[in-house]
Amino acid sequence: MSRKRTGNYFYMIIPMILIMGIIIGWPLVQTVIFSFTNSGLLDTEPASFVGLKNFISAFKNSGFLSSLKVSGLFALVVVTSEVIIGTAVALLLNEPLKGVRLVRAFLILPWAVPTVVNAIMWRLIYNPEYGALNSLLYQLGLIDKYVSWLGSADKALGSIMFADVWKNFSLVAMIVLASLQSLPEQQIEAAKIDGANGWQRFIYITMPYIIPSLQVAMVLRIIEAVKVFDIIYVMTKGGPANKTRSASIFVYQEAFTNSRIGSGSAFAIIVVAFIILLILVYMRALNRQKR
Amino acid sequence: MKKLRFSRILQYFALVVLMVYIIAPFLWLVIMSISSSTDLTSKPLHWIPRQLDISSFKELLTMGVNSRGEMFLNALRNSLTTAVTAVTISLLVTVPAAWVFSRYKGRKNLILAAAIFTFMLPPVAYCIPLYKMLVRFNLMDNSLALALVYCTIILPFCVWLIKENIDDIPLELEEAAIIDGAGVWDRLMKVVIPLLLPALGTVALMALIMAWDEYFYAMLFTSSKSAMTLPVVISNLASGRQSNYNLIAAGGVLASAPPVIIGMICQKALVKGLVSGGVKE
Repeated sequence: MSRKRTGNYFYMIIPMILIMGIIIGWPLVQTVIFSFTNSGLLDTEPASFVGLKNFISAFKNSGFLSSLKVSGLFALVVVTSEVIIGTAVALLLNEPLKGVRLVRAFLILPWAVPTVVNAIMWRLIYNPEYGALNSLLYQLGLIDKYVSWLGSADKALGSIMFADVWKNFSLVAMIVLASLQSLPEQQIEAAKIDGANGWQRFIYITMPYIIPSLQVAMVLRIIEAVKVFDIIYVMTKGGPANKTRSASIFVYQEAFTNSRIGSGSAFAIIVVAFIILLILVYMRALNRQKR
Repeated sequence: MKKLRFSRILQYFALVVLMVYIIAPFLWLVIMSISSSTDLTSKPLHWIPRQLDISSFKELLTMGVNSRGEMFLNALRNSLTTAVTAVTISLLVTVPAAWVFSRYKGRKNLILAAAIFTFMLPPVAYCIPLYKMLVRFNLMDNSLALALVYCTIILPFCVWLIKENIDDIPLELEEAAIIDGAGVWDRLMKVVIPLLLPALGTVALMALIMAWDEYFYAMLFTSSKSAMTLPVVISNLASGRQSNYNLIAAGGVLASAPPVIIGMICQKALVKGLVSGGVKE
């Protein structure tokens, strides 16, 4: 049978295209249209066209620019940590150690805990008065006064990042571990016979073998991390002093708290462009590395 | 040989540290949920509860008019119906589409690119028009509408993974069916779907976990016990000023139970499903 064109079976795609059009395509077009107007959230009369005004004022809005910085920094720190910890954990769990099966069984736990529960769990742990972290550090004699982890401008973002890394390093670890376990034994044996030491086997055989799956994990995580909303919103709502306000939170506040959907949409479009730019930079870096 | 033994000891040490890192935060959540309020508000903390206190579980799981239990149990039901509806809709429309994309190339790249592109978009890119749409059609605070909105996240994910899995089913099997005179639906229902079932199960489980996890849209589009999902109710519970930490923790434990249990039972299948999608590219 030759591979025909989609022609005759196009009708089988129609339901999907219809749904995607209604809930993704059309809203996206509308966001673009809104971004050139001064519409409000609850307006009844049609809004007026304001051209590029929303976009120009967006780039002068220091609150918005710093929220982009927060999202970028969050993604950079969190994904880097998750990739390093996740890979190290996968390599460890691939060793023939006693009890390793038990740890592997629990590896999925952090990832399976819902994001909101994770956020609340860490908020309880970081609680300035009765939190487990303060109590633990105090009892160990590492601090002499309870710390307000989420309440101080210089510690809040780092504390949230730590909570996010706990949940998501496990995804990276599971993906890398799955790929390590499919690494053919003969390759390692052959290298041993050729006299390669442990380090050389790691660099020339193990690493190249796990890199494709590591890249999948990284792309998934980068996409999630730049979009970050839930964990930050539940833990600090963007505070203190807007130090943890991510771009997604900023757009949400502009559109739904300040009821300005015109400028909110413009911010959203810029955020989309920002995300695409980050992914493109990442892909470029990957391609260069391959060459 | 001595050096080797030393590195083994290091590895065991790292293994213990890792186990503590994985378990400790969640174990503490479980301990908090069965501690009494006085144990949780003493300085320094009582790490091991002086007496077992399961009153917060009782409170959350007991139906009563305008009680926390009513809120929580309704949220449990809403989370379940929303997730199941969203995943059912997504699978129904993506399986035939994914089959066409897999068997008849040509348009494949374009649609796949579109799916991956929507994967990259943040919900804030279309939440504003979706909000206006739901308000206009009087669909705010409605589980079915919320399920449809969840398809924005789940549908692209399903079409991508299902297509990858259909690619793995040999075309020859379908060709044999064609020779026997099978039509399109026979090929799909009698050849492809039976072979696809295990993968479909994995994709469905992952999609269910994704929907269970969703917070942003639920927070925006629901406001009462008739549609609010668990993440929204739990975060509301936690943002109150009162300090019944054991109650908050119990809510967290209950909401985590389904995905954690499913995850620990089906870990292998879930990871395989996730890896199969991307690595072949």
